[in-house]
Amino acid sequence: MTTDRRSHRQAASPINAPRRRLLAAGLAAGAWPMLSLAATTTAARPDDPRFVFVILRGGMDGLSAVPAPGDPAFAAARGTLAEVPGSPALPLPGPLALHPALAQLHGLVLAGEVVVVHAAGLPYRERSHFDAQQVLESGGSRPYELTDGWLGRALRSSGVPGIGGLALGASVPLVLRGSEGVDSWAPSTLAEPPPDLLNRLQQLYGDDAALGQALQRARMLHGEPAAMTAGGGMAGGMTGGTTPPRATVALAQRAGEFLSQPSGPRVAVLDIGGWDTHAAQARILASQLSLLDDTLAALRQSLVAGGAWPHTVVVVATEFGRQVTINGTGGTDHGSGGAAFLLGGAVQGRPGGRVLADWPGLAETQRYEGRDLRITTDLRSVLRPLLAEHLKISTAALDRQVLPGSGGLARVQGELLRGGGGV
Amino acid sequence: MQYPDAARRAAIAAHRFGLGEATLANVRPDPLAWLLAQVGPAEPQLDLPGKPALPSSAEAVALQAEVVRRRRMAREVDAAASAPAAAVSQGNAGPPQVSLIPSGGGPGPARPLGPSDQPLRDALQADQRARLATAVRSPRPFAERLAMFWSNHFTVSTGKASMRGLAGSFEREAIRPHIAGRFETMLVASTTHAAMLRYLDNESSAGPRSRLATRLAQRQARQPEDAALASRRVGLNENLAREVLELHTLGAVSARQGVYTQADVTAFAKVLTGWRVVTPPAPGNPAQADSAAAPQGAFVPTRFDPAWHEPGAQTLLGQAFDDADDGSSLLAVLQHLAQHPATARFVCGQLARHFVADDPPPALVDRMVQAWQRSSGDLPTVYQALLNSPEAWAPEPQKLKTPEELAISSLRLLGGADALWARQPDAAIGQMGQRLQAAPSPAGWPDQAADWLGPEAVWKRVKWATRLADRAARTTDARALAPASLGPWLTEPTRLQIQRAADGPQALALLLLSPEFQRR
Repeated sequence: MTTDRRSHRQAASPINAPRRRLLAAGLAAGAWPMLSLAATTTAARPDDPRFVFVILRGGMDGLSAVPAPGDPAFAAARGTLAEVPGSPALPLPGPLALHPALAQLHGLVLAGEVVVVHAAGLPYRERSHFDAQQVLESGGSRPYELTDGWLGRALRSSGVPGIGGLALGASVPLVLRGSEGVDSWAPSTLAEPPPDLLNRLQQLYGDDAALGQALQRARMLHGEPAAMTAGGGMAGGMTGGTTPPRATVALAQRAGEFLSQPSGPRVAVLDIGGWDTHAAQARILASQLSLLDDTLAALRQSLVAGGAWPHTVVVVATEFGRQVTINGTGGTDHGSGGAAFLLGGAVQGRPGGRVLADWPGLAETQRYEGRDLRITTDLRSVLRPLLAEHLKISTAALDRQVLPGSGGLARVQGELLRGGGGV
Repeated sequence: MQYPDAARRAAIAAHRFGLGEATLANVRPDPLAWLLAQVGPAEPQLDLPGKPALPSSAEAVALQAEVVRRRRMAREVDAAASAPAAAVSQGNAGPPQVSLIPSGGGPGPARPLGPSDQPLRDALQADQRARLATAVRSPRPFAERLAMFWSNHFTVSTGKASMRGLAGSFEREAIRPHIAGRFETMLVASTTHAAMLRYLDNESSAGPRSRLATRLAQRQARQPEDAALASRRVGLNENLAREVLELHTLGAVSARQGVYTQADVTAFAKVLTGWRVVTPPAPGNPAQADSAAAPQGAFVPTRFDPAWHEPGAQTLLGQAFDDADDGSSLLAVLQHLAQHPATARFVCGQLARHFVADDPPPALVDRMVQAWQRSSGDLPTVYQALLNSPEAWAPEPQKLKTPEELAISSLRLLGGADALWARQPDAAIGQMGQRLQAAPSPAGWPDQAADWLGPEAVWKRVKWATRLADRAARTTDARALAPASLGPWLTEPTRLQIQRAADGPQALALLLLSPEFQRR
């Protein structure tokens, strides 16, 4: 579900296709034909809340994105991943810092538009991408306990009139399912296969010379660097590509334009894949985080231009983190606790930076099962106040429908939204 | 060679001889029995609700004739003064509407129909949709595979525009009912079908000494100044004769070995003269009808027209075939060709290549040839020889799936794929390099891996599978599907890659693109 794979692709279902064409046509004229919502969007106002959920698929290593150089166990556990050569980490309050590739985000952190969330995660503690993503998107306590998404259910329960959602991609991801007011949009050109998939496939074709050679030649013809196929002994599959899916940046900018339309969607979901860094993580994450930085900057820029940024909340989350220690191939294997970001003009940051983390420590005895960053903040406890105050979802609806079973979670410390909601 | 264990045999039965199964449960108890139980005539193709009906060859021929007639009328109108032309075009404003002529119904009053060939495109799409839907849903995938093999063996292709609607009806009428009969029956049905007569030009082939040619020569002699008459030429067309020998029966290798010569091709072409496609009477204008068209309500699109036939006995493959001027000499020749040892070897080799290996093991082909000769070309006997041979159960995947096989087997695994053929049935498979029912030549689609392994073709497979997986991963977990569908055919590297995929869609894409699923 990497973004480059989804975002270049035509809306796949016949239901979406005509809508998408209308949308593309309407865009040129500056209009947003939310057909399914046309009857209910009369109440739309420029200061309606906007909500964007960015899914980082593959399990972003929170300790690379938001390292903890102030933790006494950090340097020893992380080995060569502890530092980015030649680039100082960007300081945050407490023991934490930001990866140098997140420079634009760091600027927003300092300006008080970001809350960095760390040692965070889901109720799910196993280490399967599939199951963890299902929990992340469904908002359940266990995989497949719920079969639609928390954001889709939130659209249905929202107290904001005429609110509609938009999936930036060929299909509607699980998190947005559960509401009828959802569209999907993707540029009409067909995607090239994502580098991550190609790398894994090339490994799979190691014993099939004919298929392997054909794929390798095809990659060269399509400008895919074949160098990624070297080092076939890497465990668990390589991730990321040397060609970052820059189309994601354009997609984020387009998302901002849609969200800024007077009667456009108020909720959008963006996918970015390529975070499964079992090998060569330093190089891959530098490129991935730079892409994320550019993507978030482009989203902000278009929302600022459209006047919607002050009313926007963006949540950036991944399905799980990775093990604290570096593995044998310069990467990290699946682990539990990770990092997330909240940003937007409506987010209550702090000048100089704000971190929301009950830091558990990185010493072996402090880790979950001796391996992972321990989860001390349930992501649902972060989502709850955002959904309640920003999208006007009642506590009863949160408890019963949107994030069932989350009613007993402790409240996070301090307001997450400006002025108690920014609406 | 040892037979692999039952679990692996189930995977082989499902994937090498079938079109893939989401679970091997039904196949597992006795894979050979599962396959043999499917041998019989192929099931009728699915007529999808809400879609244009599947045309019969009679309907397709009638529709082609009507479109041609309307085109000619439109040209004549164009050629006349511009004012009447405008009036006609206004009268036909809006999308041209025509329904397929109902089966058994006679020609009705003239319907409004512009020069558009939309009805033919509809017929083409109905055929393609039915072909895919039937194969994806069939409980008898081995029978579907046999129908696909024989349709490709006796290729007719919509690469020739006049075949639209006919290619599908050809498969339904000449192939599917006969896949479990004697080879000779299918050879006769296909050679005398309107689609084949049209595709390989026999409908316009006339004997040089036929009554038609003779009358024409006499008229030209009487009216030497008549330019139109002088430009009319009728004569022999060898296309069908050559392809029946080269592609359908003896094989091109027989020509190289001197089994048949150019003289045999010419003689066979003469035997074939007179076998023609009949066009139905034009509505309200009987004069335009084929003079010998069948009565209303019983229109048959093919007949033997003695006026076009070359009279006299012909010698073919060293044997004389008497001529009764009623078309029966063709049946005698086809019977002889069907029993020829070269035919047995060529066709058995093609079958073995299709199912087992690009270079089929000679021992396997030998056993199939013996079965053929023992049974006078009884196809179920030949299939049994194939399925009872150890080479057929070689434990590892051998063949690369064609794009069509890949698409159908993927959809059988994932289910709920109706959207794929709801709009443009052939788009995806065409992009992967195989336009449905549109083989590039009478030789049909190639049947060896090297023909489908171009980098761009493989690239398109990756793109297609990725896109399908993106959609299907909502309802399908590749981690469960892979072992259920592939059984012991699933290799450890593939299992691990699927297990470690970054997300569900990627895992499903890896399954569809894995060597063991791309091959069979």
